[in-house]
Amino acid sequence: MRRRVREALVGYLFSAPIIIAILAFTIVPVFQALYYSFTDYDALLQQKYNYIFNPEFSLQDYLVVLLDEEKPSLQELLERFDPVDFIEYTFGFELDNKQKEILKNYFLSEKLLKDFLDRKLNKDMRLKDFMARYLKTGKRYFTVYRPHIIGFENFKKLFKDRYFWIALKNSAVFSLVVTPIQTFLALILAIAANQKIRGVKFFKTTFFIPSITSSAAISMIFLLLYTKPGLINRLLGVFGIPPVDWLGNTKTALPSIMAMNIWTTAGYFMVTFLAGLQNIPSSIIEASEIDGAKGWTRFWKIILPLLKPQIIFVVTLGIIGTLQVFDQIYFLIRSQENITVSMYIYQNAFSYGKMGYASAIALIFFLIIFAVTFIQRKIMKEERFW
Amino acid sequence: MRRRWTPSRIIAYILLVGYAALSLVPFVWAFLVSVTPMSYVNEKGERVGVDIMQWPPKINIFKWPPRVFGAPGTLSNYAKVFQVVPFARWTLNTILYAGLTTLGHLLFDTLGGYAFARLRFPGKNLIFTLFLATMMIPMHVTVIPVYNLMVKYNLVNTYLGLFLPKLTGVFGLFLMRQFFLSIPTELEEAAMIDGAGFIRRFFQIVLPVSKPALAALAIYTFLGTWNDFFWPLLITSDKSMFTLTMGLNFFRTSYYTFWQLMMSATLLMTVPMLIVFLSFQRYFVESGAITGMKG
Repeated sequence: MRRRVREALVGYLFSAPIIIAILAFTIVPVFQALYYSFTDYDALLQQKYNYIFNPEFSLQDYLVVLLDEEKPSLQELLERFDPVDFIEYTFGFELDNKQKEILKNYFLSEKLLKDFLDRKLNKDMRLKDFMARYLKTGKRYFTVYRPHIIGFENFKKLFKDRYFWIALKNSAVFSLVVTPIQTFLALILAIAANQKIRGVKFFKTTFFIPSITSSAAISMIFLLLYTKPGLINRLLGVFGIPPVDWLGNTKTALPSIMAMNIWTTAGYFMVTFLAGLQNIPSSIIEASEIDGAKGWTRFWKIILPLLKPQIIFVVTLGIIGTLQVFDQIYFLIRSQENITVSMYIYQNAFSYGKMGYASAIALIFFLIIFAVTFIQRKIMKEERFW
Repeated sequence: MRRRWTPSRIIAYILLVGYAALSLVPFVWAFLVSVTPMSYVNEKGERVGVDIMQWPPKINIFKWPPRVFGAPGTLSNYAKVFQVVPFARWTLNTILYAGLTTLGHLLFDTLGGYAFARLRFPGKNLIFTLFLATMMIPMHVTVIPVYNLMVKYNLVNTYLGLFLPKLTGVFGLFLMRQFFLSIPTELEEAAMIDGAGFIRRFFQIVLPVSKPALAALAIYTFLGTWNDFFWPLLITSDKSMFTLTMGLNFFRTSYYTFWQLMMSATLLMTVPMLIVFLSFQRYFVESGAITGMKG
């Protein structure tokens, strides 16, 4: 009995770090993202209670009073002063109904204006601290930013958002073009390397190099190769093809990155296929030769079915990887016409601060990826041919 | 083995040699540009600029120093990279980021993997299923809340913020669990009879025989983090906190791209990983074949 308790304790102790990490950085965030997607969460407003202002300047401006020249009476100022109006006028954002109610009922206008007349307010202050000082109660409504729940607005907006559809189309095209080509190329290379070739190790190593290079480094190298006077245009020029500004032209920018992506991953997947091919017992191949299966027939009927696990693996990884491609787009894409969904999520969340909207896109995108991989698995499992 | 020159093998060689060239040419080209000076003094004593886009590129390896793009080759761009940008600092940041992340994974993935492989505790299967389910969630969904968490605790632009969310992961846990399941229990049972507790059993018996799996996990994590761009992009805002992947963009301005320096920096960050790859290739291809480093 004691042993089992100890075993359980050690089990919890050993797995505690990863359980905490996954909870904090994956599971809780998923639910937060779900919540964000139904709100108008705006990162730029998130800091609004930390805005620093000088209450004396702001009040002079709002009350149209210059303390150096005139000395208005407290009563006179009180008549002109409305806390809701003052905050909205000074900070330029709208307060919600709860905040308005709190300000109406609990704001110490008299204390503030007295301090104003006594010239106590000529110093920089955070809005948060200002509220803490001049609110009788309810200051918590002015300390933590609370986005408003707006129901399905983000999702409705999404369906009407032209750039979302462009991004989705680009991601889909990217995945549909790159995944089959890189899989096929990897397969061909693996079959070639499996022909009792000298120096297989050298080829494997060489093909693997692009996939261990960071996407940032690869982007920089291809930035050079793809320039209009660059190497690729020079080589094509040998065949009489006129130079193209590959990355500058909206028609060629995305295909250029697709080609680069295929170049990066095909060699890596080739190693996977080669391992699979080397696991096929030579007796099967020999038996097929005796049966008269040759060339393409052997490839389609014998080799491909035996490589099914590797093909599923490569296609699954390919789809997931290509749909999420980001770094290369960030470095090399200039036109909004060529962005992918992951880039659009990034732009919304971190450039425009629209974290609610970005979360909605991310969730829809998650559902799409999930559905695609699910369908792909179904097809690959049930395909009779295999 | 007798090797005959059948047509299929000739085609295979052409394909493989062709693709090997295709794989290497971009790196070779980057190297050529990186050893080209920005300008040089010609025979007439005039300082002239170098056109790295010239065609065909004038390369002559029979002179000293060898001529690249018609100019005397030089390694000075590699030194210049350290002078014009805080490249040493970025390298240090990257080593810290990749190193600490790797240590975290080695420790926490391994401990967790062992718990889920060998120890019995209530809720184990439920937690494990939940973990596997989280592997399907793309990072774009979770990254916004995680970033906000970093903002909330003032961890943006700090080392802690950089590596804290990366210290452990389900993938490594899964890898280690599979490995522990594959080693026989007899060894541990013998230690049990000798009165060793669970903790001693793990550190003295299990860990020493786990070196190949630990090596694969370490290499995979180190390389992935070294090459990571997305998280540093979000979490670092100050130049002194950048990692190398962030820094590469620095050689490009709206008006001019410093190709020589950019290629030098690119190769400087790539070559260490190439060395790691070549020295630990065995583990790489092994771990690579069952995992997948990128899409």
